[in-house]
Amino acid sequence: MSKERITLNIDGQSVTVPPGTTLWDAAASLGIEIPALCHDPRLQPVGVCRLCVVDTGERNLAASCVRVCEAGMDVQTASGELEAHRRTLVELLLSDQPEQSMRERTTGDDALYALARRYGITDVRFPDGAADAPRGHDDSSPVIVVDHQACILCDRCVRACDEIQHNDVITRTGKGHTARIAFDLDQPMGESSCVSCGECVAACPTGALTHKALNGLRVEEGV
Amino acid sequence: MRLLKAMMALQAEEGAVTDAALQDLARQERVPLYRLQGLRSFFPVFRERASESRQLEVCRDVVCRMAAGGDPVKQAGELLAGRDDIQIRPVSCLGQCDRAPAAMLDHVPVRGDTAALRELAGGHGPTPMPVQPGSRAWPTDPYDSQDSQYATVGALAREGRPDDVIQALKDAGLRGLGGAAFPTGMKWDFTRRAAGETKYVICNADESEPGTFKDRMILEELPHLVIEGMLIGAWVIGARQGIIYLRHEYVQARQQLQAAIADAHHLGLLGPDAFGPDQGFELEVFVSPGGYIMGEETALLEALEDRRGEPRNKPPFPTTSGLRGQPTLINNVETFAAVPVICTRGADWWASQGAGEHKGLKFVSVSGDVAEPGVHCVPWGTTAREVLDRCGGIAGGRRLKAYSPGGASTSFLPPDKLDTPLDFEAMQSAGSALGTGAMVFVGEGRDLLDVTLAQLRFFRNESCGKCVPCRIGSHKAVEMVEQARRGASAVPPGSLEALHQTLARTSICGLGQVALLPLVDALRSFPDEPSLNPLRGEQA
Repeated sequence: MSKERITLNIDGQSVTVPPGTTLWDAAASLGIEIPALCHDPRLQPVGVCRLCVVDTGERNLAASCVRVCEAGMDVQTASGELEAHRRTLVELLLSDQPEQSMRERTTGDDALYALARRYGITDVRFPDGAADAPRGHDDSSPVIVVDHQACILCDRCVRACDEIQHNDVITRTGKGHTARIAFDLDQPMGESSCVSCGECVAACPTGALTHKALNGLRVEEGV
Repeated sequence: MRLLKAMMALQAEEGAVTDAALQDLARQERVPLYRLQGLRSFFPVFRERASESRQLEVCRDVVCRMAAGGDPVKQAGELLAGRDDIQIRPVSCLGQCDRAPAAMLDHVPVRGDTAALRELAGGHGPTPMPVQPGSRAWPTDPYDSQDSQYATVGALAREGRPDDVIQALKDAGLRGLGGAAFPTGMKWDFTRRAAGETKYVICNADESEPGTFKDRMILEELPHLVIEGMLIGAWVIGARQGIIYLRHEYVQARQQLQAAIADAHHLGLLGPDAFGPDQGFELEVFVSPGGYIMGEETALLEALEDRRGEPRNKPPFPTTSGLRGQPTLINNVETFAAVPVICTRGADWWASQGAGEHKGLKFVSVSGDVAEPGVHCVPWGTTAREVLDRCGGIAGGRRLKAYSPGGASTSFLPPDKLDTPLDFEAMQSAGSALGTGAMVFVGEGRDLLDVTLAQLRFFRNESCGKCVPCRIGSHKAVEMVEQARRGASAVPPGSLEALHQTLARTSICGLGQVALLPLVDALRSFPDEPSLNPLRGEQA
């Protein structure tokens, strides 16, 4: 390991970190919490939800979960502009959410709804995607229920399945706004090679992957 | 490349990539099934089931829409009603905007106009796209005969110095001609100096932005310059392997390229001793399984690594960490094709080709409501008005309403900006951008909302879906504009502008960053355009 250290400024505070440290981790070491939905410190970061964007003074904002610290950087993690973008991103995600989040209704820890409360979002400016294009449910698995409408394509289940459990079952399928998660060659979850370990449910920040029993659905015996 | 090549071969041979075929492939290649599903569902060439019917792919994008005077897909459906043996599929821009409306019948480029479709409906057709005359002389080609081709790289490899080439590109002021305008000499310098055992040189021949077709023409008529530019690039940075990433719809360009590569092999310019004994260079064409986003250089790299073509977070940039994590030089077709003449005749000669203080030559694709659409090679600094004149002005003697200087990602300008010179900075000052030099002219009488909405739909259709702002934002914007246009619901004041700002600042790549730009800018630049009134909260 190199003994080299990198010093930069985050929200006016100086911080010194080892090379390869992300801005998100460097900020966390200062006690600064940057909102994120796709990021889970146990998983390789992907920078797709864009909520953790910060201002490095460059042309575009940088996703702090993937952006690596550079010496002399001067980073802002919160500003009027950043908060406005985060609010718009949360609103975009909310516009496609089902009427009720299965996670919010059961364990009460839906991270998207927590952000909606944080930003005080009650009205959504964007057309309702849940009413126009319902994406459907998959309750074929013995213990897990999939609500595609609640999925925000954060990739956490995909990575949890690969990186933590090494089961290699879940992918994003399709492209653009019609993309969703899928199992193996787009089989129903219960007919796929899924072993019902539950890691994806633990990793999911929304109501897309939840336990059947908590939702009052019948869990098959002998699993 | 292994997985995608295997899947492309299956698609070509069987007409589909079936579940059974993927199960076999997963076993052979020892990859999980989900990975193959991710690929099959992402790239538009793949089908899950083979179809018995003939496939007519109809371009739905802006220039074809203008040429058809409405939705070309709907028109094709009407004209081919009753022909159940022909399946119509809407596709994004085919890069045939000079011959709009365009289509492909069983992967052969054909005319998509009413006459051609009637012929097809009657059982005659297809009317194949006319092949361009290949004998035009272009000012960026330093060779007057086939025998003299590749003299530049030969001389460099014998007695040249890589740093001199880099200096010449810097002095010439050459910048990336695929739209991003990054200084070419600097890119070559970074890649040459980057640490890495293996280096790659890649030509981005995935031109797919509505209005852009100049690379198709260069590949068809000047493939030797593209190959030589790549050879020079490989020699400068020390690469042993080159890849031309070509969009699959460019069928004729592919034939020309393959023939030129075979010639170069025959001449010993490619192969194990390309730059001298044991200093080999191999060049191959990788045919893209489709999608505009593949032209984003890191999405292109993902595809070459057999992953879904989703752009990477940057940095790192390909110059230091590109294909398989190695330093990679990626340039556009036109950029590579400009290198031989700059090396042969010098940076001063190149600079002198521009108009006034501008340096060099630029290929422009001209389409839309012009009398004679086509590709022209013009001095940098030529004005948009001069380009329009070269193309016979607006068809039918109409007046100009608006023009887009650079492709779907660049904003439309009003007629009073027609004297703006073709130059990155000048077009930016005028309120737009030069982009790829895809000039789309719009005549009086057109509905500017229809035109800009077509551009927005293109970006929505081609979004890879990786990041939230682009995936959801582009879709919501299309819905909001369509609803306002129908009079179903008003656009909340300022909401499109705010959405554009979020996409521009937070999207991972250029697609999301520009998706709403032409529409939002049109609201500002065309305050008197009645078709845009529904977006201003006014009656149409």
